[in-house]
Amino acid sequence: MPATVDSGLPGATAGSAAQLNTFRHYRHLTLELAISQFKLRYTQSVLGYFWSLLKPAMIFAITFLIFVGLFKIKDGTQYYGIQLLLGIVTWTFFAECTGSSMQAIAGSAGLIRKAYFPRSILVIAASMSSLFTFLINLTIVFVIAVGLHQIDIGLRIVFVIPLLLELYLLAIGISLFLSALFVQFHDIGHLWDVLMNLLFYGSGVMFSLTYVLQRAHLVLAVGQTLAAGQKLAVGAKLFGGTTVPPPSNLWAVILVCCNPIMQTIEDLRHALLTPQAPWTELVVTGHLAAVNQYAHLDDPWLLPVPFLVVVLIVTVGALTFRARARTFAEDL
Amino acid sequence: MTATDRALAIKVENLSKRFRIPLDRSSTLKHRLTHWRSASRYRTLEALRDVSFEVPAGEFTGIIGHNGSGKSTLLKILARIYRPDAGRVAIEGKVSPFLELGVGFNPELTARENIFLSGAILGLGRVELHRLFEEIIGFAELEQFVDHKLKNFSSGMEVRLAFSLAIQAHAEILMMDEVLAVGDASFQQKCFDVFKGYKREGRTVVLVTHELSAVNQYCDRALLLDHGRLVADGLATEVTAQYRRAIGLAADGSRLSDEVERWGSRDVVLTGARMLDERGVEDCNPPTGGFTRVELGYQIQNDSVADFVCVIWLVRDDGQVLAEARLPVSQYAQVGSSQRGASGTIRYDIPEIPLLDGGYSVNIELQGRRDGATYDHLNHAVRFHVVDKGGRGGLIDPGGVWSVVPTEQPVVGWPDQFAATQQ
Repeated sequence: MPATVDSGLPGATAGSAAQLNTFRHYRHLTLELAISQFKLRYTQSVLGYFWSLLKPAMIFAITFLIFVGLFKIKDGTQYYGIQLLLGIVTWTFFAECTGSSMQAIAGSAGLIRKAYFPRSILVIAASMSSLFTFLINLTIVFVIAVGLHQIDIGLRIVFVIPLLLELYLLAIGISLFLSALFVQFHDIGHLWDVLMNLLFYGSGVMFSLTYVLQRAHLVLAVGQTLAAGQKLAVGAKLFGGTTVPPPSNLWAVILVCCNPIMQTIEDLRHALLTPQAPWTELVVTGHLAAVNQYAHLDDPWLLPVPFLVVVLIVTVGALTFRARARTFAEDL
Repeated sequence: MTATDRALAIKVENLSKRFRIPLDRSSTLKHRLTHWRSASRYRTLEALRDVSFEVPAGEFTGIIGHNGSGKSTLLKILARIYRPDAGRVAIEGKVSPFLELGVGFNPELTARENIFLSGAILGLGRVELHRLFEEIIGFAELEQFVDHKLKNFSSGMEVRLAFSLAIQAHAEILMMDEVLAVGDASFQQKCFDVFKGYKREGRTVVLVTHELSAVNQYCDRALLLDHGRLVADGLATEVTAQYRRAIGLAADGSRLSDEVERWGSRDVVLTGARMLDERGVEDCNPPTGGFTRVELGYQIQNDSVADFVCVIWLVRDDGQVLAEARLPVSQYAQVGSSQRGASGTIRYDIPEIPLLDGGYSVNIELQGRRDGATYDHLNHAVRFHVVDKGGRGGLIDPGGVWSVVPTEQPVVGWPDQFAATQQ
């Protein structure tokens, strides 16, 4: 016999007004949970909420000192400092959001065992406090950039909204996936820490895409092998045939190119700060080919890849979460 | 559709729920690494078996049964917290989404913040909460503590806050799990007053409780669960009476008066008996091969008692005695040299219970060491149900360990008594 829980007995009609009421109630619950989590996060600390603003600033200071002060790295892009800051702020959001949302389910065992509501509310509520901090940090970056005259404001600033939405969706998709698995496998937490470390270097936080293309010999290496006749399905479409040394790191390039975090950070820099080095535009216009004289990263095929990755991750995350949410109350 | 059909609030058909409980409860990393192969071993606990019933709108229903009978599981399925494995649940009307008082309370938040957080879980809107705020605080008598953190509240204050908030939830069907077990006498009185109000308003209430008197007082009818099965469904007074008979409770609540199941001179009396798992938690559903402790209390009623012995029988539900265990001589002194009024606890640990799936009980007797006189004998002192993960036949699980050793040639011959026939 199938197991079902109906909301109404036969003959009952579920009015759309009732559904609207339910929606309103859950929106309210999400907000209340987010507000109390926000308050709880900063109790028992002297500086309180200030920490969330202080942390990216301190990371920025360290990174800037090491890369610019110590290694004298210049990536040739405009306003390297402010670009770095924007990258760090964006990355901090992503890292904090996934990190705290991962424990949203396991950390609310009491609530889940005793009250009914859609479990995804807990994950979304947990992400909201990171999102709020991120928006404040973005405003601060903007103000600093204006103050230092390191910004070229243009109409492209409107793209900030869809880009933030994309990044938030990505973070939610990953959070749903992680939080659902974290209930039974706490190993996920350690694994994600390691993966985040890898992602940090693969997301262009400390350097722009232009820099990668100019400096990365791995890219130079790609084209030649392809020209030499190797039929790598993805690679063949990605890179036109030219004469360069054999590739050893083709997979790394492709991964970086498929990384939506890299794409959002790069496009945010473009939309907010400088017309230079936008990921999406480079792909569309074939501008990448000009930047890199050896390989042609100008195939429009690449354009939708980061967006498709986001859609894929959100779908997998939501489905995993839905399947596992049925037994959260029992598993916890 | 008839008129009575339409008045139904809850309709449950053939509901079943199983839990898979990992046999290996240890969670240290080292243990998990060394025992990773056994991590997938589970025992199945049938929490609910084919339960069907209906609750008409506006009725008070009590769910009673022993610990582990499936009461709370049933309530959690009705509240949509658990999903059933089989069967159908239909509910008409808005169900309270919570089971206990103070759901979502956080000790680090103030009373005010907790009201808004917990209120949201209860389904109250922000505007509504603002409007009701003074009333909630007033009812809880906490006007001076509105902005104090909950962790600084006494448990009585916390319960008052939780209760005055909970009664504002405007669900048509209320589910309550042991709400009567908390608070002092005056708080319980408040509870009952609110219940009377619910009754007048014609709300449907499903109540899980151990307080049989409360069931008699407030519930129109009661459901009795036993090992996941619905064994009685009827008038509250009749069902509670049946439950009392089953567990040997007298109508006045005093335990064990059934002469047929209990006899003896009562020079030493049994004060209680229970079954515990390895963590010391009461558990009447041990798994095959699991650790089980039978624990019983005694009290000496007569100075003339010198030494006494404790005997425990494990009995299958069909009456077959499976084992008899007697307190060894070496332990006599510990119970023997006591005065009238002295009491103590006797434990009988079974490291790996070999019994297979089925219903059993423990019979206990305290008897004089010298004359063998029966001081107190009690049949079915503890009823328990062994849960087997299946795949075994026969009467017991001897707990044998298998291994396979490949060899070049066959090295195992026959025992000597077969030597002649084989050659």
